[in-house]
Amino acid sequence: MKRTPQGCQSRLPDNTALKQQQLPAYRLQLSATGVLSGFFATGVFCLGVGIILILSAKSIKEIEINYTKICANCAKLRENAVDFDKECTCSIPFHIPETMQGNVYMYYKLYGFYQNLYGYILSRSNSQLLGTDVKDVGSCAPFRESHNGTPIAPCGAIANSIFNDTIILSYNLNSSIHIKVPMLRSGITWWTDKYVKFRNPSSNNLSSAFAGTTKPPYWPKPVYELDEEDPGNNGFINDDFIVWMRTAAFPTFKKLYRRLSRTQRFIEGLPAGNYSFNITYNFPVTRFRGEKSVVLSTLTWSGGRSLFLGLAYTVTGAVTWLATFSMMAAHLMLKERKMFFSQQ
Amino acid sequence: MFCSKKKLLEAERIVKANDREYNEKFQYADNCIHTSKYNLLTFLPINLFEQFQRVANAYFLFLLILQLIPEISSLTWFTTFVPLVLVITMTAVKDATDDYFRHKSDDQVNNRQSEVLIDGKLQNEKWMNVKVGDIIKLENNQFVAADLLLLSSSEPHGLCYIETAELDGETNLKVRHALSVTSELGADISRLAKFDGPDTKLMQNSGKTKFKRTSIDRLMNTLVLWIFGFLVCLGIILAIGNSIWENQVGDKFRAFVFWKEGEKNSVFSGFLTFWSYIIILNTVVPISLYVSVEVIRLGHSYFINWDRKMYYSLKATPAEARTTTLNEELGQINYVFSDKTGTLTQNIMTFKRCSINGRIYGEVHDDLGQKTDITKKKEPVDFSVNPQADRTFEFFDHRLMESIKLGDPKVHEFLRLLALCHTVMSEENSAGQLVYQVQSPDEGALVTAARNFGFIFKSRTPETITIEELGTLVTYQLLAFLDFNNIRKRMSVIVRNPEGQIKLYCKGADTILFEKLHPSNENLLTLTSDHLSEFAGEGLRTLAIAYRDLDDKYFKEWHKMLEDANTTTDERDERVAGLYEEIERDLMLLGATAVEDKLQEGVIETVTNLSLANIKIWVLTGDKQETAINIGYACNMLTDDMSDMFIIAGNTVAEVREEVRKAKENLFGQNRTFSNGHVVFEKKEQLEMNSVVQETVTGDYALVINGHSLAHALESDIKNDLLELACMCKTVVCCRVTPLQKAQVVELVKNHRNAVTLAIGDGANDVSMIKSAHIGVGISGQEGLQAVLASDYSFAQFRYLQRLLLVHGRWSYFRMCKFLCYFFYKNFAFTLVHFWFGFFCGFSAQTVYDQWFITLFNIVYTSLPVLAMGIFDQDVNDQNSMDYPQLYEPGQLNLLFNKRRFLICMAHGIYTSLALFFIPFGTFYNMAGEDGQHIADYQSFAVIIATSLVIVVSVQIALDTSYWTVINHVFIWGSIATYFSILFTMHSNGIFGIFPNQFPFVGNARHSLTQKCIWLVILLTTVASAMPVVAFRFLRVALFPTLSDQIRQWQKAQKKARPLHRRRPQTRRSSSRRSGYAFAHQEGYGELITSGKNMRAKNPPPASGLEKTLYNSTSWIENLCKKTTDTVSSFSQDKTVKL
Repeated sequence: MKRTPQGCQSRLPDNTALKQQQLPAYRLQLSATGVLSGFFATGVFCLGVGIILILSAKSIKEIEINYTKICANCAKLRENAVDFDKECTCSIPFHIPETMQGNVYMYYKLYGFYQNLYGYILSRSNSQLLGTDVKDVGSCAPFRESHNGTPIAPCGAIANSIFNDTIILSYNLNSSIHIKVPMLRSGITWWTDKYVKFRNPSSNNLSSAFAGTTKPPYWPKPVYELDEEDPGNNGFINDDFIVWMRTAAFPTFKKLYRRLSRTQRFIEGLPAGNYSFNITYNFPVTRFRGEKSVVLSTLTWSGGRSLFLGLAYTVTGAVTWLATFSMMAAHLMLKERKMFFSQQ
Repeated sequence: MFCSKKKLLEAERIVKANDREYNEKFQYADNCIHTSKYNLLTFLPINLFEQFQRVANAYFLFLLILQLIPEISSLTWFTTFVPLVLVITMTAVKDATDDYFRHKSDDQVNNRQSEVLIDGKLQNEKWMNVKVGDIIKLENNQFVAADLLLLSSSEPHGLCYIETAELDGETNLKVRHALSVTSELGADISRLAKFDGPDTKLMQNSGKTKFKRTSIDRLMNTLVLWIFGFLVCLGIILAIGNSIWENQVGDKFRAFVFWKEGEKNSVFSGFLTFWSYIIILNTVVPISLYVSVEVIRLGHSYFINWDRKMYYSLKATPAEARTTTLNEELGQINYVFSDKTGTLTQNIMTFKRCSINGRIYGEVHDDLGQKTDITKKKEPVDFSVNPQADRTFEFFDHRLMESIKLGDPKVHEFLRLLALCHTVMSEENSAGQLVYQVQSPDEGALVTAARNFGFIFKSRTPETITIEELGTLVTYQLLAFLDFNNIRKRMSVIVRNPEGQIKLYCKGADTILFEKLHPSNENLLTLTSDHLSEFAGEGLRTLAIAYRDLDDKYFKEWHKMLEDANTTTDERDERVAGLYEEIERDLMLLGATAVEDKLQEGVIETVTNLSLANIKIWVLTGDKQETAINIGYACNMLTDDMSDMFIIAGNTVAEVREEVRKAKENLFGQNRTFSNGHVVFEKKEQLEMNSVVQETVTGDYALVINGHSLAHALESDIKNDLLELACMCKTVVCCRVTPLQKAQVVELVKNHRNAVTLAIGDGANDVSMIKSAHIGVGISGQEGLQAVLASDYSFAQFRYLQRLLLVHGRWSYFRMCKFLCYFFYKNFAFTLVHFWFGFFCGFSAQTVYDQWFITLFNIVYTSLPVLAMGIFDQDVNDQNSMDYPQLYEPGQLNLLFNKRRFLICMAHGIYTSLALFFIPFGTFYNMAGEDGQHIADYQSFAVIIATSLVIVVSVQIALDTSYWTVINHVFIWGSIATYFSILFTMHSNGIFGIFPNQFPFVGNARHSLTQKCIWLVILLTTVASAMPVVAFRFLRVALFPTLSDQIRQWQKAQKKARPLHRRRPQTRRSSSRRSGYAFAHQEGYGELITSGKNMRAKNPPPASGLEKTLYNSTSWIENLCKKTTDTVSSFSQDKTVKL
């Protein structure tokens, strides 16, 4: 009776740690000292980071000028789409009270422009922008082709609605001497965008490369004539174009427009004084009740000015500490109670 | 030769034996068994059709179709397609493997060989080719794979012994009898195929197994519906938002960016948005949920299969999870319904002790003269001098052997009685060994005991019994056989020994026998009575033994009267009974025997432990009330310190109602004494109003109910009262219940109590109960397969139930709950970000994440860690799970995952999604990157949130995992690593160069993840989502620790020290109650013996009897059947004395 039938021995399950659920394991247990010290350390860390972030955000100098309404006449003109070819410029004087030290960046900022609409984000053709096939207008609806069937390059709603104001910053030494502040339009895009994602069709002559395509309807000029000053900045690899094509996540956004060329007078940054923006007002924000402004800002180690992150860290740190102390209180109280019980 | 049998559809089936051509006209089914569902060609269409019948799959198919509609498509098709295909493929592979095994087993059955008479010759034929009407020759120990009609056999009188284990699970041999006309036809067994293939009894009975679902399943379905509701609400909110937005802002803006195509009706736009958001938000119920649940259950099932502690080495039987979908239900059992024979008991009787002439044998005294338990250490009596002794028999008291050697006449008489007074048949096997064929295992034990002590029952004829008495063969003449029945509760034989003395030997229930004793026995009676109480206290089955010397003349007179009585037609039974009564008096008491109905190993501990785990155990048995109660005591379910035991044995509805009423009155009456009167009154009112009462009754009660009363109770309005009563009792024993009633009892509890039931049994009579309970467990390792085949889990020993429930079940439940909590949390956190984003993207159904991320999140980035937790997690180890059965209670109370828990998980998920969305949003809303560039572009934002999400949910799973094995480490770290490597791959220049439209995120990971502030955001998000969880958990453990928490703490503290092995003191029962004649005895065998029908031809019956035998050959079977039914009905009259 005691012997096991031969051949059935194999039915005995293997004695492995896995099969017997005996795998060596660490049993996670929230111990009081671990949790409390962890919380305490996290609190210290968060408070520290928070304060540093707030301080560095405070050190950033930033000027924002909303020029939607300031250039009222231009705004009115742009309300009507028929007048799209009429030029309108306006000049906005402003004052910088303190020197903006270091690198200064100029942004345009749009309010109420939904670059994150589902249809909008899709309305582009990455393969076209890659330059392999300029006539590939893929998912570019509703701006795939012009009325006569010529493919649009660059196609799609994103490209069509490009921000097309020109903003020139001039430094007004006095009422008569206006120096144009030297600005760089390079280095405002991601390296991958400029060199991988956006490529011009390979051809000696850009205009011939785009032959057989037409410009987007809102554009005054074809894509190969975007930058008259720098021929290397034309076509799909135009920096402003690339910046615009990287769609924003929120309806309010600011995009890098120019950065200060730190030469001559501006080697330290923007000195305090009177300035003015000379704006060619093309972008019709009022048609969709949007607003636009121009922003000058310096940077710090963590990037641009944002108090939120610093505040959030500080609050988190404070709450964590609060939690630490209340948990410690609860723990100590309980410890006493336990000891009280054990003494009895 | 014709044969017909009534059938449901066809009223009559006329078959010409051995005439295939004729029989083919009727197009009977062939004998090929098909249990498989598919073949190679039909697999794909049928399987796909079946799969899409499942609501979840159909739903996802619907989503997929929605996604193909360009107007509302907000996600590319592959986000749903890839997971759906994956899920369907996995299920299909599983179905295919299952079906492959079914094919294999079908083939095995179909290809068994049989011998068929074709063209006048016996030919070998596969069973699958056997046709209706074929004549088949069967030999001993062959399988039968069709319904057959017995034509003749090599046994005398066309008898044939068959085992019907595969049909009904019963392993004892059943007698089948050929029609007398056909019985003389052939020497070997030959049979006529009657019903074939799908028409056979087995296939007809197998029925479609009900698809069982766990309560978690049902809860999950409810929750999924809730989630759909929630999803629709979100969709509506966003659709309304979209309409308003379109109205206020969108029309102008769209006109600007999209021109004419931008002009839309805002209401219609809202309608489309609704569907778009339904598509986007569908990830709240991810497809992978169902698959993951299945995978986890499969893992748990394998753990059950692999468990060495549930492997029974004697039968080489491992435990088997035959259903892989019910595991977590094992952690929620409230009621266990157990069969008795073969489940609680081994169905092995062993002769344990006896009392002869006032002296107890079988007790082992140690040096101090104290009674001790019989342990294996003691030297058993050496029976080697006796060549006929049964080797398996063990007895530990040497004094009995000494008494025999000394020639104590009472001892000799006692053993002689055991060797003579029984219905056992003897046989010599091929090795020349004596083999007993016993009809009741109790008798077998007694006869075997006598055999070992030198009184060997050798053989019998209808007129004689030959025994070997200490080496000398003695043949007794069998003068009369006073058969057992349930009223008499005793049996006697009257024999004449070679000296010519006539003796009556009687054995029976002590209560009955003691009334029949000669007055001179008084002293012995008191002594024996004490001994009987002692035996009963140990849970042994007792019998009293007595004899009577008869003088020749008296016997002859009596015998004549008996013959007269037998020939009369009217009141025959009464007259015979009266005569039996007449002769069985003035008996001389010899002593008593105590037979142990051997419990399965560890039954007592298991029962105790399960009771501690608040699991109620009901015994449902076909046995007699006394046997059942006896076993109840033996396995500690019934104890003497119970406040009361209610016995319900009424015959009519009214009686049953009265008994139930009394019992309830008793129950509540005693309660009343403990509390104030009016409070109880109110309570009682509530009781009557509410059928589900969670009443605490002071004291332990037990309920014993027999099948008859149960039948009445189940059919009438007493049902609820009975259930209420039964549920308040600690132990419930239902005896003499039919298989159907077993199922009805289970159904009753299942339907009227919101409780999870488990039925455990070993035989075919338990099949219905096993099928109807939430979980059916079959005892495997026996030859009968039916119970195992119907069961969801099977193992070889009852005691493994403890491990199955307390360890595997508890863990499964614990893991599944944790898994579900985490899974819902994860997907809420993942999906609701879209909802928040909707408010900032003009409700345009723009997703936050990259489409690839949505596709891969649930199936690649986060599936394995949670699976590892769902499969491997343990809160306390197995030993502690067993040692602290109270740990089982959260499962019964549904504490770990319920609607409240779900809402908490949901809230947690919503909180995390808020943190995930608004911290990056707040930070980047107006911020520039380190290089001065715009940082909050859509793609970077998507990457930041996705990365934070992956890290946050990984931290969460790390916090949830309480048992960190290597696998958990690999999966958790591996998932994060996988995420980053896939991220960088998909954002690499190379892949963009190849598929510019599919992977437009080129350079994103590189650019974003090198910025300090982005990492600061991710860190803050993680801290903000994890800290509250840690704090809440810490406070919960500190303030309201559960038992599991305490044991974990203790476990940790004890890790270094030797694990303390808790031994619960083995409570020794001291019961004063006696078993009655608790024998599994059937009436009718006496007649079989005296007629000599079951005897081999080599002991030829007297020639004169032959004709009579032939003539009667069917009538005795009918008689037997009649008697059996009588027996059953006589139980109803069997008014049980309260013991």
